[in-house]
Amino acid sequence: MNCHDARESLSAFLDEALAPEERQRVALHLEGCPECRRELARLEQTVALLHRVEPARAPVGFVDAVTAAARPRPWYRRVAAAVFLPFSVKLPAEATALVMVALLAVYVFERTPTLQESARTQPAVREIPRENTVRPAPPTALRDRLARDPSSGERPPESKVRQFEKEQDRREAPAAPRRDATPPVAAPPAATAPAAPAAPAPGAAPPAAKDEGALEKGQAENRQATAPPAAEGSRGAPAAPRLAAKRAAPSADAVTGIAVRDRDAAERDLAELIARVGGRETGRRREQDATIVEAVVPQPRYAEFTQSLARLGAWRVEAERPDLPAQVHVILRLQ
Amino acid sequence: MREAEAGDAPRFLDRLRAGETAAFEELVITYQHRVFGVAVRMLGNAAEAQEVAQEAFLRAHRALADFRGDAKLSTWLYAITSRLCLNRLAKGERRLRRQGEETLLRLAGGERPDVAVERSELEAALQRAIADLPEERRIVVVLRDLEGLSYEEIAEVLDLELGTVRSRLHRARADLKDKLERFLP
Repeated sequence: MNCHDARESLSAFLDEALAPEERQRVALHLEGCPECRRELARLEQTVALLHRVEPARAPVGFVDAVTAAARPRPWYRRVAAAVFLPFSVKLPAEATALVMVALLAVYVFERTPTLQESARTQPAVREIPRENTVRPAPPTALRDRLARDPSSGERPPESKVRQFEKEQDRREAPAAPRRDATPPVAAPPAATAPAAPAAPAPGAAPPAAKDEGALEKGQAENRQATAPPAAEGSRGAPAAPRLAAKRAAPSADAVTGIAVRDRDAAERDLAELIARVGGRETGRRREQDATIVEAVVPQPRYAEFTQSLARLGAWRVEAERPDLPAQVHVILRLQ
Repeated sequence: MREAEAGDAPRFLDRLRAGETAAFEELVITYQHRVFGVAVRMLGNAAEAQEVAQEAFLRAHRALADFRGDAKLSTWLYAITSRLCLNRLAKGERRLRRQGEETLLRLAGGERPDVAVERSELEAALQRAIADLPEERRIVVVLRDLEGLSYEEIAEVLDLELGTVRSRLHRARADLKDKLERFLP
């Protein structure tokens, strides 16, 4: 055995981990080689140094920490740990993600006009397809403007009246009579005579629509398309469907709200007032918080009619057509 | 071995396999210093070593039901700990740098100041010399000269041939001899 082979085995020789024959050969070499003996001694001293190293001791509380960690944790703690731990990494990442989602939401909202519109307007407005091309001011804004200056005499533009009517349409029950004011279509037989000559016939709707602009025209066409039989055969067919009559009816010319103390008394007084100015009541509907009265009033006496409403209570014109026809179709809300 | 292998009594193994909390606690109490010792010598940092030692026990806890008892519990725990340390070192999952001095000062507590200083110096030199060894040699010398395992046990823990254990240990000791020359008589 040479020195190289002997030194390769010195470590195992020290540990007595060599097979007997190999151990014998190393021992023989060591007897005749002082360098290898010296090397063995240095190795032995090195191992002795290593043995002087104090055994490491686990820190205080280690057992408690391990046994606590080994206990099964409730599911919510596991979920929380999965979501939030390690805090230093996940919290900033999650906060960043939250901000980015918020920014994305704002960006999408800003870039999508339909989202903005749906956030502002009421669902009823969106039910009518042609509203996609014409965007009237929100009803709430209209009301606010009117409420601020009820006596200014400023007449709301046509679109405001239409807007209010749509709102009324939405609030009505499907079967509720509304446009009974249209004499040839849905007015009670007894009431048709005086009003019929002045009221526009359904067949005359397109010419009237021309004056009222594109919006009214579209509606007029809609009326013709949906209810021609009821309109043409109205005199001979008083039982025409109410819905059709409602669609065929001309729009209201004015809407007035009256705050009354006694609704019953106010209804009676209003009926008298309508009769006195030569008008006629064409419909009445009692709701929980208001009574809706529809009437036709001759245009010459319309001013007198509105002035007299003060006797019933505090009133204000909520909407009014700028060019009143000969027979003013007015909706009064007593509340 | 430094402690008796009382933990390998069949009754104790049965309790462990049954998931008895007290038995697991007993296991941790018995082997905590040995497992932590391997981790701290391999990683050179007490906090990191504690983390790895805890993980080793938790892995053992999860696998206890399947522990067949072919190997000794200590060998099994050393194997888990060694693997965790080597994996961590190989993957570079080192959040903290070595702080051997901190560990060594703690280990040297309770002695006369002059002895403590001398011992602390030797400990620091030893720690540095061990830490500078290649990992595959370091784990062998730690298991043999610090933890006292036999060659056969080391081969089992590290899943190595006996000859490989022997040669790695020899090279590790030769490296340490050169680095610790000034402490040798």
